[in-house]
Amino acid sequence: MRISTFFLGGGLALAVAAACGPGPEPATGVFANLGDPIPSATPDELATFNRGKAVALHRFTKAEGLGPDFNVTFCAACHERPTTGGGGGRYRNFLLVGQTLADQSFNPLGKSGVLDQYDLAAGRVATPSQTNVMATRNPIPFFGVGLIAELPDSVILANADPNDANHDGIRGRANYDRGFVGRFGLKSQTVSVEGFIRGPLFNHAGITTNPLSDAMRAKLPVPPEDSGVSSTKSFFQAAAPDAPTTDDDGVPDPEMSEQSLFDLVSYAMLLAAPKPDDPTPDSEAGRALFQKLNCTGCHVPSLAGPRGLVPLYSDLLLHDMGPALADGIVMKLAGGSDFRTQPLWGVAAEGPYLHDGRADTLDEAIRMHGGEAQAARDAYVALAPSDQNLVQTFLESLGGRSQTSTGLVPPGAPILDVGDYGGPATALAGDDAARFTAGRAVFDRDVPLAGGLGPEFNGDSCRACHFDPVIGGSGPADVNVIRQAYVTPAGFVPQADGTMLHHQSAAIGVRPEPEPMCDYFEPRQPPAVFGLGLVDRIADATIVSHEDPYDADGDGIRGRASRLADGRIGRFGWKADVPSLAEFARDALSNEIGLTVPVQSGLTFGKTSDADGAADPEIAQTDIDALVFFMSSLAPPPRTHQNISLEQTGEALFTSVGCAKCHIPSMQTSDGATVQLYSDLLLHDLGPAYGPGIVDGQAGMTDFRTAPLWGLAKTAPYMHDGRAFTIDDAVLAHGGEAQAIRDAFTQLSPADHDALVAFLGSL
Amino acid sequence: MKRAALALLVMGCACGPSSGTSWQPAAFDASSFGWLLDTCGASPDDLYAVGGTESSGAAMHFDGKSWSPVSLGAPVPLLNWCHAFSSSDVAMVGNSGTVLHFDGNAWNLQATPTTQNLWGVWGASPSDLWSVGGDGLADGQATLLHWDGSQWSSVTLPALQKVGVDQLLKVWGTSASNVYVVGQRGVVLHFDGSTWEEQLVGASDDLVSLWGSGPDRIVAVGGRSNAIVSVWDGASWKTTSLAPTPGLNGVWMREPGVAHVVGTYGTLGDLDLATMTLTTVAPPTSLDFHSIFGDASGRVHAVGGNLADANPPSYQGVAYERLLGSGE
Repeated sequence: MRISTFFLGGGLALAVAAACGPGPEPATGVFANLGDPIPSATPDELATFNRGKAVALHRFTKAEGLGPDFNVTFCAACHERPTTGGGGGRYRNFLLVGQTLADQSFNPLGKSGVLDQYDLAAGRVATPSQTNVMATRNPIPFFGVGLIAELPDSVILANADPNDANHDGIRGRANYDRGFVGRFGLKSQTVSVEGFIRGPLFNHAGITTNPLSDAMRAKLPVPPEDSGVSSTKSFFQAAAPDAPTTDDDGVPDPEMSEQSLFDLVSYAMLLAAPKPDDPTPDSEAGRALFQKLNCTGCHVPSLAGPRGLVPLYSDLLLHDMGPALADGIVMKLAGGSDFRTQPLWGVAAEGPYLHDGRADTLDEAIRMHGGEAQAARDAYVALAPSDQNLVQTFLESLGGRSQTSTGLVPPGAPILDVGDYGGPATALAGDDAARFTAGRAVFDRDVPLAGGLGPEFNGDSCRACHFDPVIGGSGPADVNVIRQAYVTPAGFVPQADGTMLHHQSAAIGVRPEPEPMCDYFEPRQPPAVFGLGLVDRIADATIVSHEDPYDADGDGIRGRASRLADGRIGRFGWKADVPSLAEFARDALSNEIGLTVPVQSGLTFGKTSDADGAADPEIAQTDIDALVFFMSSLAPPPRTHQNISLEQTGEALFTSVGCAKCHIPSMQTSDGATVQLYSDLLLHDLGPAYGPGIVDGQAGMTDFRTAPLWGLAKTAPYMHDGRAFTIDDAVLAHGGEAQAIRDAFTQLSPADHDALVAFLGSL
Repeated sequence: MKRAALALLVMGCACGPSSGTSWQPAAFDASSFGWLLDTCGASPDDLYAVGGTESSGAAMHFDGKSWSPVSLGAPVPLLNWCHAFSSSDVAMVGNSGTVLHFDGNAWNLQATPTTQNLWGVWGASPSDLWSVGGDGLADGQATLLHWDGSQWSSVTLPALQKVGVDQLLKVWGTSASNVYVVGQRGVVLHFDGSTWEEQLVGASDDLVSLWGSGPDRIVAVGGRSNAIVSVWDGASWKTTSLAPTPGLNGVWMREPGVAHVVGTYGTLGDLDLATMTLTTVAPPTSLDFHSIFGDASGRVHAVGGNLADANPPSYQGVAYERLLGSGE
């Protein structure tokens, strides 16, 4: 018997269990805004929820077990859209890799099939040479997963029709994991929330865990249930990987405590189901069309859980989606073209869509359906555009619409406080507030494929790499840019296409690979853009005045300005190769996102054409102007004080030890403002530990611009490649011209050491 | 004191082995033994069961009347598998490259050129044994050893098409020139008496164990999450999923038409190889069975433990047995 249940928004449900009389009532107390806890949570569960959310947001460091290979440094890196616990933007797409052999067996490669981007030692993880299957994955949201975990196997199996007995062309079938019906993951490959968390923790962050003990599992919001398999023990929430995960990064396993894992799993289980909008005539008309098209053949409106009907709009079964969507990845019983019906609750706020994020809009996503969904897709395409809109309106009513934005900044978000992180440097008057907001929106906006993203890219927005601690900030190690180089004993050999090696390709199942000769990969940390308007206004002459290329004063410091071929002085970027904020914006838009920029007199950075099919330029000058205004208006990082006396002692030591020789505390803008950036904006040789290195303009292989120190406490990790996760480590990582100063730092008394570190942390 | 301990250990021994064709608990207290990972023996009244804990291997012996602990002579880590040629020639293998040999009088550790865990052992003759091992979790290396009657030596594996095979799990054969190895990621190796070669059998998941009724009927089982079975019919391999049955760990055959299998979550079943129909009994336990072995009397022994927990607070064993019916 096929269970047919129809769920209407606003809590009104009409449930029809065919020929069985009235069905179960809709679940209550389970809906909320995306990212909120389930309303029925107890105070203890709320406390656990908050602890677990903190774990999800925690940036893991090398000392805590990050790596050795990783894609991300924290859970919410991929689960942030539209808020923590959600899905991920296209810049968080990741790759699965494997080999299909002549006998059609599938052998996952990488780390349990995941190809990580970063290697803490080598910079970049190489693609396994045996790879002949590579698939793109877009992170999926966790909203309501606790309710899905509660569903009995029998409820999911009730919709299975593997032999198409009802001749509707839909052949839903279950995936299994040790006898239990899979329900999590894009191929329903995982049974339990714990398994769905422990696996990615290891595969994507390199964080090892032990399975939760039976005692802890019994305390979970969705505790183990009797499987029916055994009279002595149940395993419902036990799932792969059952074994402890281990790695060889030198940090004792498990790298996450059982309590933190418990909190994290509990947090996921307690995320509320997306609250649907109240029905409207349009959404109801769309719902009727959705059913008429037989979209409900797979997107079953609701499944009956212990709390009542759960309106997830998915049967959680596998369906063959046809060759166009096939990715070749085999997961348990799911073949290369099989995918789980994706739940549609909250879909308005959870794009991009489909397993690989190939669709930017719901309309695109529907049109890309194939295989078992081909008939429904064709019927949708045959609708009048107005009816297609009704279907979309219905889908958008399934939760999350009010939280949808073009990026991650919530709709209507206010301008942050003047002088604070992410706020303007001064009060914005007149139209400036609107310009600031418009520029912030450009900074935040996820660029769609049709908008010119790619063909290769690192981020799909500026915010993608600049968000710590708020929009405009720096990026953790999981958004490092990778530069590539061919280095011979004679030195750096320039490549025709430059040194950028992108993470992402707009093409599905493709990873940008290095130039054939390149054998050196150097990560680059995204720096914060706070206060750059002030830096932009420092006169070239002011920067040049601090030069001492021949060490005339004999202090070992040989600061050199980065002079561009056209005579401008570089001041932005790790190699000081960019001369102005406007050029910085053009450079980043093109090189990081893949947007072509308009030709502008006097500006030389940025690409004006590319080969992605979108018309050039791919961003309007007005948007760039707004973007530059936003960045130039951002306040410098505010000083924060914990112990002023100690910090004052540290400030004196900062000078006496010699740090201030390069990290000069302040410079003046051409209009007289003081810029307390703690940098001379000059190039310095940091020594062989930074080699082999990359030549960039005037900057030699181991030359780097003195990094501004403002905001230091909020911008870890440090150094150009993020090699240092603490301020201490960053100081100790200095060499070359800074070697003597670094050595002096090591000779400080513990009290002086603490004072200096306290001062740095106050910047 | 030893007698008292033995009396506690051997529960229900007055009843003797089960005489029925339905599964019954074995006639000893398996729960306190530790993990039970394999049974082997040269005759129905000369059986061994091996296992223990991660740090302390142990074995039991059945003399036709009752089971009793075996004094192994020296501390050994977990014992994973065993093979018996006769009452005076028994081999056990275990973690950290451990090989124990019984010559009829005493157990002796044999030197091996590996510290990898050894998961399987089988031989065509006392001077022609193979052992396999490795580790699929951390820094494992697929390991193949050969005993020539005087020493164990490492055998270089052929270059594998399957990437990432870090452990071989079992070895079994019908003669010195027809030996098979199965392992991680569904790898299968065949030895024709002179050369090892990889055979692609269509298995994507681990193949954990194998047995056969002859050179034209070899059955390998595994799957971890979902049971798979790979069958060699003398000409080709065919791999079949048995989902939703969970992963299988052990197989033993007496007749060419049926494979007796055991697996995770208490799976006990008989696989009709003509129809690939698996008939299982209601799991008598939620623990995992690891091995099934039949002796010449037609009694099959299924053993296992709480294997799903790699570091259990306490190691539990489980042992069941039954008599095969005719045709099984």
